[in-house]
Amino acid sequence: MFDYPIFEMPVIGQRMLMAINAIIHIYVSHGGAVGGSVVLALLAIWAHKRGDLAAYKMTFKILMVFFIISTSVGALTGIGMWIHANILSPNAIGGLIRVFFWKWFTEWIVFNFEVVLLLMWFMTWKKNEATVESRAKSNRLGVYYAIASWLTMVIITAILAFMLTPNFDGQPWVDPEVFPGKVDYNNALFNPTWGPSLAFRTFSAIAFAASLAIMWTWIIGTFSSNQEDKDAKPRIIKFLATIMVVTVPLSVIFGYWYLSIIPESALSMIPTAMMTREFEDKFSTMYMIVIGIGVVVLLSTLIAYFAPKRMPYIAASAMVIAFLVFWGYEERVREFIRKPYIIYNYMYSNGIRPTDVPYLNKVGVLKHATFIEDANKILAPDGSNQINVGHSIYLIECRICHTDNGINGLKSLTKGWSQQAIEARLNNLPGGGTPYMPPFVGTQEEKKALAAYIHSLNVQGELK
Amino acid sequence: MNWKLPFDIPLVTPTMGIPMEFYDALGVIVFVVHISFIYVLIGASTASVIYNIFGAITGNKTYDKLAYKMTNPTTISENMGALWGVAPLLVISVLYTGFFYTAIIKVSPHILHIVYGNIFAFLLSYAYKFSWHALENSKGFHIAIGVVAVLTFYTLPPVFMSMSNLYLQPETFSYVQSIWDIMLTPLTGFRLLNFFLTAFAFSGVFMIWYGMRLQKEGDVEVGELAVNQGKKWFLFATPVNVAILPLILFVFSPRIAEGLMGTIFIVLPFVASIVLFALYLYLLKRWNQDSFSPKEVLSAVTLMLVSVLLMATARHGIRVVSFEEPLALQAKATESYMNASLEEYKRYKENLKNAPQKDLNDPAVLADEKGCMGCHAIDEVLVGPSFKSVAAKYAKKEEFVSSILQGSEGKWGEVPMPIQDVTQEQANKLGDWILSHK
Repeated sequence: MFDYPIFEMPVIGQRMLMAINAIIHIYVSHGGAVGGSVVLALLAIWAHKRGDLAAYKMTFKILMVFFIISTSVGALTGIGMWIHANILSPNAIGGLIRVFFWKWFTEWIVFNFEVVLLLMWFMTWKKNEATVESRAKSNRLGVYYAIASWLTMVIITAILAFMLTPNFDGQPWVDPEVFPGKVDYNNALFNPTWGPSLAFRTFSAIAFAASLAIMWTWIIGTFSSNQEDKDAKPRIIKFLATIMVVTVPLSVIFGYWYLSIIPESALSMIPTAMMTREFEDKFSTMYMIVIGIGVVVLLSTLIAYFAPKRMPYIAASAMVIAFLVFWGYEERVREFIRKPYIIYNYMYSNGIRPTDVPYLNKVGVLKHATFIEDANKILAPDGSNQINVGHSIYLIECRICHTDNGINGLKSLTKGWSQQAIEARLNNLPGGGTPYMPPFVGTQEEKKALAAYIHSLNVQGELK
Repeated sequence: MNWKLPFDIPLVTPTMGIPMEFYDALGVIVFVVHISFIYVLIGASTASVIYNIFGAITGNKTYDKLAYKMTNPTTISENMGALWGVAPLLVISVLYTGFFYTAIIKVSPHILHIVYGNIFAFLLSYAYKFSWHALENSKGFHIAIGVVAVLTFYTLPPVFMSMSNLYLQPETFSYVQSIWDIMLTPLTGFRLLNFFLTAFAFSGVFMIWYGMRLQKEGDVEVGELAVNQGKKWFLFATPVNVAILPLILFVFSPRIAEGLMGTIFIVLPFVASIVLFALYLYLLKRWNQDSFSPKEVLSAVTLMLVSVLLMATARHGIRVVSFEEPLALQAKATESYMNASLEEYKRYKENLKNAPQKDLNDPAVLADEKGCMGCHAIDEVLVGPSFKSVAAKYAKKEEFVSSILQGSEGKWGEVPMPIQDVTQEQANKLGDWILSHK
């Protein structure tokens, strides 16, 4: 928003900067930590109950990979989400922390259990491998770790769901017309998509983790110099495939439930979210992508289940890639369909609240832009700094999604447009086929300045 | 003084009626836990590499074993340190939202080093630990991994401390433009020196505790070496630290340093320094002793922790003194902004309610309402063609209506006609009307 300093990410833009961190985080948190903890705990228990020591030993090797990636990449990109959100949208994350402070604090406590249990499970595994009793003790650590992992997802999912569907009809989480806003914490927490999205995430994360474990089993089993590992490979793959046979259909069912609760205006943006504007009403292409991912997962699961011994590497990796594509899309879509809001009906993507709009239209969005220098926010009588003022408005209202000339760059989007055309387009927002764009906010002079700035991007420079 | 501050978040702070002292204490305690893990991380990872080098040069296996043992506290403290770093930030960001977030943005994108640099360091430290036996015969390479991991860990405190010095002194917001403006200041340098010296001293005490644990577990030789070395880490790092501790608060901006005078907080670093000095004498007296009684270990650890706790409390004192004025200014500015904004919003809603109902059956009204007239006029070219020229071009209504519904490009020049937010029925109505302008 206008009252904070502005960090501009050139070329890749703010969205991509956040997306890099978010996508890495969701891969590791879902596939590695939450799903991984459940899958590995189940695998260890299964191997132990069968007295299959070779499989049990190999479970540790898989755990080691999951441990390294979850505690480094997973945990730090989790903190990274916060820092990125802070850089991009301090008002939004600041609001969320005011609403969810105690939930986040609880999550942090649960997270302690998760990390400590994982450290204990992993670092004492070798010592505990010796006897039946100590193995059973070790497995209990694994189960507790899985429970703690899942609980962290319970809480963070509530917050994500809140951003999309903040409350039930008639049960507002806050009255935006009152200052200071008194938050109804229960209405914020118990929001409509929390349950369905949690169920969907839980089972698809387990399925994802099982596919990752299958890939690692394949790699370890194939390249190990140890014959025991080679023999254990098909047994483990078969067990992991069984997990998938159960969890994949459950993910589909809960995924459908989740979809059915998302507001219609958000739903209609899914094809655009998955591809680009070109595809905005091509629901058929979207279904093809979803079906494609489903078929790859299904086929590779069946191969793993019925022919674990002969399962080719390509099937194991196709399975993982399908899940990577799926989770990448899931995140992009979830983030996209919330537009033009960052907190639905409460705050636009650029941090401006709808309740601020009439006032800012009157006094100008730059009036309270504390961190912008006067020369770049107060129009000179001769209009000589119009483009600089326009740039300031661009920084406040546009750069959260656009760049000058990089990804989603305004330069190429308005190539050949007259300044008047750009201004007319600003008048029409969010109409004109872009329901995901917030309205322009500010005075008429500011709108002209922004149009002048955007127009200047396509004007050749001068040699003086 | 001219302040540049963002507004406060216009939602109530969720203190749940618990007195602020609780949050102050919470902030200090979680910070002490966090910084203790970070001290051990810095010290243990450094020690591991140093003893690995010693072991490789001297061929003394005990050094090598100690170096390997030190990778365990490294693993635990890097994980717990990162985790416990979240809690203080959570408390700060809910109580002092504007200052914390402004500081983070001011030091962007470099602050992202805390994420990506940390991941790099974590992965290298795991590689160093888990390749210990595999790389036994390529010590040079193995040590190189460890050195890079440690150096990467060393790059994190300067970044984080810059952010911290920025948010603790909100007056800097008006002139600090990038991370270098605050990193390359005496304050950051001074505090970094104190940080690293304390990290080495703290790790020395940790090694004494850890060494005694190893001795108890039967690893007598390695344990004795750990105790012996731990003492030296502490004794070498502490003299300078004792001297600079009391000075630290005075390096903050004059507003803060002067504000601290006359409060209890200004005394705490002196006390912390005395406690450290007492521990210095205590360990110096045991210079020749490679085995400590549990009571001696407890005394050493307690003195070290007390010193850290005192410094953390002094750090809290900076917040108390520094934030009083800007918080009040911020609250006032936020209130007047929000009141003006909400008043205007209510007026807007009132006007909307009282506005005469528009007759959307009238195509001219509909065209205005849907924004057509922003780009078009009846008989002159604006952004798009005039309705008269459109009517002249299209014989069939269907083709034209599809341009309204799906947008079109390239028919009238470079500016595309965007997709319009109208129903099929409305599009037909607009189509009839526009094409009637022949």
